[in-house]
Amino acid sequence: MIPAFGYLTLAIGFLLAIYGFIMSLWGIIRRSRASIESARLALLLIFPLVTVSLVALLILLLDNRFDVAYVYSVTSRDMPNYLKLTALWGGQSGSLLFWSWLLAGFSLVFSLRRWRQDYHLLPWSLLVVFLILGFFFSLNVLVEIPFERFWHLSDGGRVMAVFRPGGAWPLMPQDGQGLNPLLRHPGMIWHPPALYLGFVGFIIPFALAISTLATGRRDRRWLEISQPWVLVAWVFLTLGLVLGMRWAYDVLGWGGYWGWDPVEVSALMPWLSGTAFLHTALLQQRGRGFRRWNLALIILTFSLVLFGTFMTRSGVLSSVHSFAGSDIGTSMFIFTAVTTLGSAGLLIYRWGGQRSTFTLEFTFSREVLTIFSNLVLLSILMVCFLGVVYPIFSELLTGTQITVGPAWYERITGPLLLLLVFLMGVCPLAAFSGAKLMKMDRWVAILVPLSLLIPILIWIFGGIRNFYVLISLWVAGLAGLVILSQYIRGVFIGRQRGKKDWFSALVLPFQVNRRRFGGLLVHFGVVLISVGIIGIEGLQQETQVALNVGEGVSLGRFEFVYDGLENSVQPGNQEIVKAVLMVTRDGKPYGFLYPRRQIFYNMGMAVTQPAVKSNLARDIYAILVDGDAGPQGPATFRFFINPLISWLWIGTGVLTLGTIIAVWPTRKNRFSRPF
Amino acid sequence: MTSAASHPSKAHRWKFIIGGILFVAAVIIMVVSASQATAEFFMTVAELEGSNQNLEGQNLRVSGAVLGETISYDSGSGLLTFTIAHIPGEEKAIEALGGLETALNQAVNNPDNPRLNVRYAGPPPDMLRHEAQAILTGTLDANGVFMAEELLLKCPSRYEEALPEQVE
Repeated sequence: MIPAFGYLTLAIGFLLAIYGFIMSLWGIIRRSRASIESARLALLLIFPLVTVSLVALLILLLDNRFDVAYVYSVTSRDMPNYLKLTALWGGQSGSLLFWSWLLAGFSLVFSLRRWRQDYHLLPWSLLVVFLILGFFFSLNVLVEIPFERFWHLSDGGRVMAVFRPGGAWPLMPQDGQGLNPLLRHPGMIWHPPALYLGFVGFIIPFALAISTLATGRRDRRWLEISQPWVLVAWVFLTLGLVLGMRWAYDVLGWGGYWGWDPVEVSALMPWLSGTAFLHTALLQQRGRGFRRWNLALIILTFSLVLFGTFMTRSGVLSSVHSFAGSDIGTSMFIFTAVTTLGSAGLLIYRWGGQRSTFTLEFTFSREVLTIFSNLVLLSILMVCFLGVVYPIFSELLTGTQITVGPAWYERITGPLLLLLVFLMGVCPLAAFSGAKLMKMDRWVAILVPLSLLIPILIWIFGGIRNFYVLISLWVAGLAGLVILSQYIRGVFIGRQRGKKDWFSALVLPFQVNRRRFGGLLVHFGVVLISVGIIGIEGLQQETQVALNVGEGVSLGRFEFVYDGLENSVQPGNQEIVKAVLMVTRDGKPYGFLYPRRQIFYNMGMAVTQPAVKSNLARDIYAILVDGDAGPQGPATFRFFINPLISWLWIGTGVLTLGTIIAVWPTRKNRFSRPF
Repeated sequence: MTSAASHPSKAHRWKFIIGGILFVAAVIIMVVSASQATAEFFMTVAELEGSNQNLEGQNLRVSGAVLGETISYDSGSGLLTFTIAHIPGEEKAIEALGGLETALNQAVNNPDNPRLNVRYAGPPPDMLRHEAQAILTGTLDANGVFMAEELLLKCPSRYEEALPEQVE
């Protein structure tokens, strides 16, 4: 009963999405407010319906209902309940349902806001929302159905169907195949939902932009409404990416966090254009032009979201993410292409009407620096896109498929990312165009020499001679110092304005100008992230050795001594092999490491679980590559020293905090604004 | 300041355009140089054998079916050697043969199939076994042995089964 019920609620949701689409179209053509309101009511129903459908699937997953094909393919009896729940997005049809549910939720909250004087933007926004909802529902209802069950036919055959075919009886497997072992990790709880939230959130600015274009308006109201949504989507996208890095670092066991896998790159692309949009949107809100530019950027971002979903969900690429092959590739590709071309066509049609009157001078102003950083972000985006399509085009042009790997991406994007950090760092020193530029001189005179101390000190005391690392750390240091100086200035102004105690003065900047100081905190997080990346990319040390019990190997100032293996049999036909390693630093005891391998005999698959000892300066990271020869047999290890990597995770925390501060609604007129 | 004017002054517009072009040109140069240094040719074993290009030293990516009995690992030197047999490079061609599993099976059982000897410095990965698909990155040495720097292995897994077989 539950599968059929889940399917029916979903199908009604799909029909309501079609209804909503027709009603909003009718409302637009006939200028009928009643039709628009009716469409809005449909959204009010869709979300609860999809929620019921989603809960039905969760119940089936938790209840070991292996007669349901999806449950059979992603869960098994030996999986803990939390993993059974995450199996919702562990396969194709479930993750599509989850995506549609998020989409319906965002759309509902969006449609419930007080529209009043913005009512003109509602009809087209609804039309866009219903179009996208309808498409994703149709995939779930018609092609990738999460509620299909196995049936025995009377002629001995087997089929999958939601409803019982005539004369068939249900087929109930004893156990499911289980989630792919690589996905059995707590990372599975956070990484996919965060990424999806980030993806889905961009639908609202996109719908508003299309609405603005379609109605031929020239104002920036759409940006004001969408700003909090953009920030929320952006921070979730960022978190999704970083959580994926963390997961890869903890599980995939190559000592890295980012492999320039085509699917990773596809998720990075909307982040790049979304970040560019975030910044020029702020400029447009200050009345600094960028009207067409922002419309183009949000269309690009949402198209890349669809493209990214297509890449992850269609299985066109083989990567760690392609655990689900699929039949929906073609329809998703067509939908992505039509949406992109349709919106781009609309933008071109309205191009002349969206001309900005603001003019810019080519000076050291925030506007010009923002344009420059936009250019850098979009260049990285183009490089990413080129990397993804390189194999396809090279084959078309030369007959030989040429692929590009991490080394290619790193060589090109490394300098560009550093340039980005540099621009971000110097931007607060520049004024908005039109203001006098004098304030910068005094700060430059203090901060630049101060920042130069950083690489010099590292050169002397850290013993680092790598030129690129020193330059990169200088850039990151300069950016960090500039941000700190801005904050300290804010604190001192606060004290001059009569904030006697230090604590109030320290918090005051964030209270008075949330957006600005929240933004600075986000940038400070980015600086910390870049320090982590510079550390692992520039200073990583690694070695791979086969060791007999009692033997050791040294790497940098550390020595690893192999002390034997411990085997333990686990339920679910699994075995864990754990190696014991004693670590010393400069000859003094430093601790133990227990890298493990978890072997899934059912799947014929082994998952390595690296052992990591982490502090702010470096991670000591060990992988048990091979060790089947028994407790006292030899084993093969890979060891890594990953300097500064912790700052990548800490920086992400800072960035998230900064975004929360920036998004938090401001209580108006509580303070005068001294800055 | 000309912020109220309706058209940007020509001189400034040119500065933006020239600046943009210079920057984009720099990026293109970086892309070209990185491509020359690191791009990999994706070739099948048969294409490698039949190629009259000089591929020595070129970054290559080859895919093939592993021959189980050829796998040998010398733990003293840490060198792993094995042989792979040709499989088609395109998904479609593999599908036409009846899927990856069948294609791999045919590849190892056909003695006329072109083969390639592989050397890799490192221990054998778990999934390196008979009839696994190996995707290798590396270069060809003067003797035609493939010096792999990276090993990726794929086994046709039970994940691809549509219907359960083990239950009755």
